[in-house]
Amino acid sequence: MKAIRVQHTGGPEVMELEEVPVPKPKPAEAVVKVAVAGVNSIDGYFRDGRFRTPLPFIPGQEGAGVVVEVGTQTKTVKVGDRVAWSGVLGSYAEFVVSPEEHLVPVPASISDEQAAASMVHGLTAHYLVNDAHKLKAGETALVHAAAGGVGLLLVQMARAIGARVIGTVSSDEKAQLARQAGADEVIVFTRNDFEPEVKRLTEGKGVEVVYDGVGKATFEKNLNVMRLRGMLVLYGMSSGPVLPVDPARLSEKGSLYMARTTLAHFTATRAELLARTSALFGMITDGKLQVRIAKKYPLADAPEAHRDMEARKVAGKLLLIP
Amino acid sequence: MKAIQVKQVGGPEAMEVVELPVPQPKANEAVVKLAASGVNFIDVYFREGRYKAPLPLIPGSEGAGIVTAVGGEAKFVKVGDRVAWAGVQGSYAEYAAVPADRLVPVPQEVSDPQAAAAMLQGMTAHYLSHDTFPLKKGETALVHAAAGGVGLLLVQMAHGIGARVIATVSTEEKAKLASGAGADDVILYTQADFEAETKRLTGGKGVDVVYDSVGKSTFDKGLNILRPRGMMVLFGGSSGAVPPFDLITLSQKGSLYVTRPSLMNYIATREELIARSGALFKMMVAGKLKLRIEHTYPLAEAHQAHRDLEGRKTTGKLLLIP
Repeated sequence: MKAIRVQHTGGPEVMELEEVPVPKPKPAEAVVKVAVAGVNSIDGYFRDGRFRTPLPFIPGQEGAGVVVEVGTQTKTVKVGDRVAWSGVLGSYAEFVVSPEEHLVPVPASISDEQAAASMVHGLTAHYLVNDAHKLKAGETALVHAAAGGVGLLLVQMARAIGARVIGTVSSDEKAQLARQAGADEVIVFTRNDFEPEVKRLTEGKGVEVVYDGVGKATFEKNLNVMRLRGMLVLYGMSSGPVLPVDPARLSEKGSLYMARTTLAHFTATRAELLARTSALFGMITDGKLQVRIAKKYPLADAPEAHRDMEARKVAGKLLLIP
Repeated sequence: MKAIQVKQVGGPEAMEVVELPVPQPKANEAVVKLAASGVNFIDVYFREGRYKAPLPLIPGSEGAGIVTAVGGEAKFVKVGDRVAWAGVQGSYAEYAAVPADRLVPVPQEVSDPQAAAAMLQGMTAHYLSHDTFPLKKGETALVHAAAGGVGLLLVQMAHGIGARVIATVSTEEKAKLASGAGADDVILYTQADFEAETKRLTGGKGVDVVYDSVGKSTFDKGLNILRPRGMMVLFGGSSGAVPPFDLITLSQKGSLYVTRPSLMNYIATREELIARSGALFKMMVAGKLKLRIEHTYPLAEAHQAHRDLEGRKTTGKLLLIP
């Protein structure tokens, strides 16, 4: 089969298209023919070595496709099932092998592209507004990178809950997308400092919650735009890791809360994974959640997909089609 | 009137008995004749200069007594009312001027010493268990310094809610007190490692919340015994301040939450202050919360009260009786 492989870590060019054997399933695994693979920032972290994994490896954590072979002890999937997954390394390939507990059924109403595009970003947005901080109607949320992959979905979900959403974006084009997704206010942070803007928009009160996948660049100002006892949910670090934090700052700024979350802890059990994906697919089927696919690439163009992602110019999901 | 004054910061001997005029209320204030004044670690911090306040200062940040004068614009109280307060400096005296909106009514069934003893530590235990992390029946809480002032009240409230309480204490005597307050399991941290013990007691799952007023010496291990998505509530630093920490630790250890609350942010509005003190007094009247008043001192012996408090041998509340 064809697959993208990384022999040594580095820039996008280290991803090469190679011919490798189709994987065989262990007893509790299944082999899936990949219809669509999702591109995520974490793939870049593994590629450049920020996150470690044994070399060589096939990148990609997310996708959708059809089960073509199952191990001898599988219980939940069978050959022919349409499935999707996240958190399974090796998805930039024609076939991937996955522990069966990571595979979730995809309803007929959801396309392969929608399924692959929504696993990481959609499940992330879902746990952020429903669990990391359970957003309520009438609360105000600040969503950084509101036109990004998670951002656009997060804005829609927050809006559907009845929260007021203030989004930050880097360009007017992205501002328009964030507004279309339902953001009540959008701050173009390249023109306006988000700290005074958020204060102005909340009449000095601040927001109940900040959802931040940006990290270093936004951290300090986040502490100044939260209301008393507000919550900062850090779920990524696209601008780099936040410097070590003195916990005393949380009390100085008003008994604040801080969480640093990752999707795996919000899909830790099979029951939670299924409940979350089913809620997500339900929203997509009902038309309550639009998944914006920014661009599709053939598998061989994975380097270009990473370049586009890392240039931060895309608004929406990038997909590879093996 | 007689009052304790600190002219220069320093040890317990820096507190002198002086004769001062009875304060006159400003427009929004009431003057209270003190019946009892609580002794707290925060008083020590101000006395020794760790916390800054203009000198000379009258220490003491909680008390109970009777209103003897009210300012022209003071609402909420009238002369003759029995009241209590927390968080306003100047209670080591026969009279104190307090903003009227910080005074709460004391029910008949609650004595002056009980009221003075309950305000800071009782309201602290209340906000920790009911708001910072609203404990639910069936959850497990680890309470450090469980035989301390806040600890004994927190254990009782957590137990009353139906949570399982694991307590840490330093001596056998304190272990008995913690058990008597309702702790399900007590760890003598001087004899057993609380990390290993808590893991064993929870079958490796960890606790839902850690209430930690110890700080430096317990913080890191506390993160190791939280269940995924559990919360570290750091509300003091009796062993020293927790140094800055890397937020990635929180995601590595299971998408954890950290908060550093302070009482003032949980009684910020008059409405919340009244609701919280009211709930607290109600528990006391109903016999659901036992306050341990360990010792009362005449005002002139404030220095001895501080010595006893700093010696860490006390397990209940110390009060000054002017």
